[in-house]
Amino acid sequence: MSTDLSILSMALTFFLVANPIGNSPTILALLKNFSFEKQKKIMLRESLISLLIALFFQYFGEAFLNTLHVSRPALTLTGGLVLFNTALHMIFQKPETPNEVENYQEPFIVPIATPLISGAGLMTIIMINAATAQDNLSITLAILTAWVGVTFVLVAAPYIQKILGKRGMAALEQIMAMLLGLMSMDMLIKGTSLFLKTL
Amino acid sequence: MTLFSIAIILFLIMDPFGNISSFLNLMQDIPPKRRRFIVIREMLIALGAMVIFNYLGDILSHLLEISKTSLQLTSGVILFLVAIKILFPSPDSLRANLPRGEPFITPLAIPLVAGPSLLATIMLISQIEPSSLVMLGAILLAWAAAVAIILCGGTLQRVLTTNGLNACERLMGMILIMVAIQRFLEGIQDFVKLQ
Repeated sequence: MSTDLSILSMALTFFLVANPIGNSPTILALLKNFSFEKQKKIMLRESLISLLIALFFQYFGEAFLNTLHVSRPALTLTGGLVLFNTALHMIFQKPETPNEVENYQEPFIVPIATPLISGAGLMTIIMINAATAQDNLSITLAILTAWVGVTFVLVAAPYIQKILGKRGMAALEQIMAMLLGLMSMDMLIKGTSLFLKTL
Repeated sequence: MTLFSIAIILFLIMDPFGNISSFLNLMQDIPPKRRRFIVIREMLIALGAMVIFNYLGDILSHLLEISKTSLQLTSGVILFLVAIKILFPSPDSLRANLPRGEPFITPLAIPLVAGPSLLATIMLISQIEPSSLVMLGAILLAWAAAVAIILCGGTLQRVLTTNGLNACERLMGMILIMVAIQRFLEGIQDFVKLQ
């Protein structure tokens, strides 16, 4: 009984850290050039990829980071820098000519699956949970449970676009880019302060 | 740094998964038997360039006496920029405008495999790493892995599809950016300790 509860509470933590509800407007803004069906497909795919990344970090995260000599502050700073770059692209995008829209690069893995959903925060929490005694199976179950919710929220997100319309989406994109900029700066500051403590 | 970690860095900068598509595109009109020969020839040229720059790095380090800290910071910045290019590809990149005809040295060997960033990184790391044997080993290891991947390029593309190859490239870009930031942080750590 108690293990069921701990799985659920872990799943809830993972769900909150992956933050699909907060992230989906941002992701939607990134995908505004795609048709509704395509958006749903991309959401599903990115959600599955982020699940794979989360599972990878549960089992191999510690070994992986040790082999590459990557420290925790570097992990956090990576997330911050990549997201900050994305935010800059969103805010200062060049006006697109019709020709360019067609071969518009579809966002793939970066920045949606990682570092937006499976970011440094999630990786760290999963690795800490994996390191502190819990048996691996229950953590995997918790991740899978969390991802049922994450996938549901992400796939449902394109419906927001139907409500907001084209202009609403343009406004949403600017606002979300600002928020993304703030989020990434927060990660950068966290990473820097972690790093300063190691000096 | 260990042989293994240097090899990983070099392998990631060579970006074999990203280069598969350029190799396949360039050699569409060439008969399959000749393709293998061309791949090996181009990769050998790239290897030659890497080894030359490895020794150039050794010589330069004696001449210029640049501190280890600045080498580490520089290699961090260069790796970071390479990774950003992999993660956020721009439409006017080198890879989007490939010339036609049978490739010789350019563009496959240099700059697609052994690009300026790879050669600069080799020069920087060879100055940090005291043993040239380790350095050569790392170059050979990374190069062999890249050759294996590019030789299997056609099969890999069939199995993984273009999207799968893209996925591999993106994930490697993420790893590269982590390594870059780690190197940069180590540079700062060294700098602070020197003060």
